Amino acid sequence: MNRGLNIRLILKIVGGLLLVEAVFLLFPLIVTLIYGEAESRFYLRTIGIAAGLGLVGLLSGIKAEMFFGKREGAVIVTFTWLIYTLIGALPYWLSGNIPAFTDAFFESLSGFTTTGTTILNNIEALPYNMLFWRSMTHWIGGLGIMVMFLTLIPFLGGTGYELFSSEGTTPIKEKITPKIRETAQFLLLVYILLTALCTIALTLAGMNLFDAVNHALSTVSTGGFSTKQLSIAYWNSPAIEYVIIFFMFFSGINFTIFYYIYKSNWDRIKKNEELKYYILIFLVSVLIIIYSHIDFSKPLTFASIEKSVRGSLFIVTSCITTTGLCTEDYILWNSYTWIVLLVLMVTGASTYSTSGGIKVARVVVLAKFCYSEYKKLIHPNAVIPVRFNGYIVKDDLLLRVLVFSIIYLLIIVTGTFILSLTGLGFEEAISGMITCMSDVGLGLGKLGPSSSFAEIPVISKWFLAFVMLLGRLEIYSVLLLFTPVFWKK
Amino acid sequence: MFKSEINYKLVSRVIGNLLLVESAVLFFVLFITLIYGEKDGWYFVGTSLFALLAGLLMIAFGKNAPERIGKREGSMIVTFTWIIFSLVGALPFWLSNSIPSFTDAFFETISGFTTTGASILNNIEELSHGMLFWRSLTHWVGGLGIIVISLALLPVFGVSGTQLFAAETTGPTKDKIHPKLNETAKRLFLIYLILTAAETILLLFGRMNLFDAVCHSFSTIATGGFSTKQASIAYYNSPYIEYVITIFMILSGVNFGNYYLAYQRKFDKIKENEELRFYLILLFVFTVIVALSLIDFSEVVTGSSVEKAWREAFFTVSSLMTTTGMVTADYMFWKPLTWIILITVMMTGASAGSTSGGIKMIRVVISAKACYYEFKRLIHPTAVIPVRYNKHVVREDTLTRVIAFTLLYIVFALFGILVLAISGMGFLESIGGMVTCLGGVGPGLGLVGPTGNFAQIPEFSKWFLDLVMLTGRLELYTVLMLFTPAFWRK
Repeated sequence: MNRGLNIRLILKIVGGLLLVEAVFLLFPLIVTLIYGEAESRFYLRTIGIAAGLGLVGLLSGIKAEMFFGKREGAVIVTFTWLIYTLIGALPYWLSGNIPAFTDAFFESLSGFTTTGTTILNNIEALPYNMLFWRSMTHWIGGLGIMVMFLTLIPFLGGTGYELFSSEGTTPIKEKITPKIRETAQFLLLVYILLTALCTIALTLAGMNLFDAVNHALSTVSTGGFSTKQLSIAYWNSPAIEYVIIFFMFFSGINFTIFYYIYKSNWDRIKKNEELKYYILIFLVSVLIIIYSHIDFSKPLTFASIEKSVRGSLFIVTSCITTTGLCTEDYILWNSYTWIVLLVLMVTGASTYSTSGGIKVARVVVLAKFCYSEYKKLIHPNAVIPVRFNGYIVKDDLLLRVLVFSIIYLLIIVTGTFILSLTGLGFEEAISGMITCMSDVGLGLGKLGPSSSFAEIPVISKWFLAFVMLLGRLEIYSVLLLFTPVFWKK
Repeated sequence: MFKSEINYKLVSRVIGNLLLVESAVLFFVLFITLIYGEKDGWYFVGTSLFALLAGLLMIAFGKNAPERIGKREGSMIVTFTWIIFSLVGALPFWLSNSIPSFTDAFFETISGFTTTGASILNNIEELSHGMLFWRSLTHWVGGLGIIVISLALLPVFGVSGTQLFAAETTGPTKDKIHPKLNETAKRLFLIYLILTAAETILLLFGRMNLFDAVCHSFSTIATGGFSTKQASIAYYNSPYIEYVITIFMILSGVNFGNYYLAYQRKFDKIKENEELRFYLILLFVFTVIVALSLIDFSEVVTGSSVEKAWREAFFTVSSLMTTTGMVTADYMFWKPLTWIILITVMMTGASAGSTSGGIKMIRVVISAKACYYEFKRLIHPTAVIPVRYNKHVVREDTLTRVIAFTLLYIVFALFGILVLAISGMGFLESIGGMVTCLGGVGPGLGLVGPTGNFAQIPEFSKWFLDLVMLTGRLELYTVLMLFTPAFWRK
């Protein structure tokens, strides 16, 4: 690096984004007015702080030079999430709804990273506006990550994203092309449309409008916060469950697919391997879990089969899309379903969706690579290229995908280790780490669906908060900040 | 692709010859039974004759075999040798009714030949001396086999990147079996023999009787893990014996090429060896962490309590890292934190070119470096930063191969955990059982932990773990290759 960090530009962009958050904070303010709740002053204060800081940032960056490199990108991505979370935690904390700052920060970060792990033991005790703000943080986080995937993260390199974007959406040069802007606008439209459709469908299925909006926000962003302690199980309504399964599944699809649907470009959809394998992995896992879930010792009735199928569909969709809503306590199921679920959490759903995890596209490339290496052993002189979506994957990209996955797994192992050092049990450490790394929200043991993260030690909470951010921003953007090379001039 | 069919005749001839070796080894056990005046010597003689006959038949079948050997023949020979050795080796246990079920007898034997040390026996002391000796001997034979294969044969087939080190020592690097192969094998055998003898003598000083000393030496040097006692090394309750075994486990986890270098007085090269350095550093660091977690700070910390914690940690970490699997303490009573360390070391294993299993330190080091350099490259996209190992630049294709292996190992472990869980084992048991069998360690977690055994697990899980032990021992590709259609195509 031959230049200093362009701090002014960073301040300007982060400042601008803070103003956006101030605007978002107006929504829960409106909710307090509708329901006549007393929390409005906390929102006003938070908005004041956000707007004030935002303006300061904008003003100090007013004369910023317009050069923009990887380092600026990484700093912007990471700090935007951190500052959003800090500001977003204020309403919880100031109003005393979540008295400990650690907890408020955890809840807020869990929202913005679309994780959905909660430290609340009695969600229904919160006022409407707080519940709404919780779901809203998911939606903002989901929106943010879509924008990041389209603009900054591929530009940072290293995660192999070049591979998964359809032509035209990759920032090949260090500029965001008009084509990308167009795609980005389309994807945002899809995001908003899905949310609206989900709200309508949920209302039709019998949810009241408030809950429907909240669950739509948290489903489409693959977040996982619910307005009820029991999550979706509260309604005990197959219709609602099917609607949520449907929308979770669609939120896990590569959003560029919707673009092709819009353009009626069916060939490309057929050729899309990520979609194919996403559906395949999904179906296979559902079948495995249905098999374990049906009690064959009793006579099979349509109702019992339907219930197993629905329960399995729900939990598999929830885990693979890293949403984390739940309808049943899977801790009571066979322990092998846990393993299937943990594996799904690690793979995650598609690239260019709001889901976390390694992502199906990378998993597919990895599997293909392993198989081709394998063939090469037998045919040492043959040239066997790895193909993805019909294109040959270049060697350096391949290595990047490999390294990304290994680092991902390595972080899970190290994190499990650290969590157990901080005093968590074996199941809790493994599942807590995976669930936060992949931004899911469901764990095993004491972190299972019928309990929360409230009981874990403070240090574990801060560590998990870090992990959620790490997982959400695809590792590198955050880890880069910790390398000495990064700060060298 | 392949210009010819698989050279079955040669495969048959080589395996036939190896069966003659097994026949001789089996016959040798007869003397042990005679010394102790036990009656089951006949089972060994019978099995020995059977092996002799089968060997001769196979040699006869491969009489006019062309002298052409490639990768496919290589992996067939290696895989089937292990399977046939185990089938034949299981006969004495089964025929004599020492282990009534054939599934169990086969499990015990393949666990022996793959130097795993996972046992299905509930009461080891019940077995006759002959049977106990044969159990330990299977370890020793298996360990010897793997040393010769990994340092002398595998590099020839270019499998899995272990040739990195071999290229620097005496191993052959070209595609033909080197004229030096015999020479190398002989030297390795000598090192193996000296280590075994040295340990036996040192154990005798610790007041272990000769029989137990020999058996434990066999299973230590092979990084196997079978003991002649149900309580394993805890039975002797002797710090001296524990330290001796710890040291020899660590020595057995070193790449045997290093001993040859030491013999040639090339100490510089040993110092430069990164695998050795990382192996020892990692071992030390993990031991310290585990030892700290074992000290009970709520009580007065005395010298003897620290020594005990250190000794238990040192023994257990060495035992699991070198994938030996002998135990002095039941780590299921330790903190779960230590389990995670222990599972990690079971996965990494010790050095390539030793008798230990696992991913192997060399691959761990190279994968780690590749990750770190990839990272650096993010910031300096145009900089050329080659990965170096032992001061040599690692070629890109070797790099991807090593990383692919590491990943495949992890994926295979995950897949196996899933299969075991579906076959009816619990959460801890599935994780522990899979990792321990794939790494060739022995004890797992939960019911298959250090004080438990594999007797209670379902029949299917046993056969699956047989396959896992074999696959892990032969470094995945050798066995998995046989399952690809491409392998059998002409």
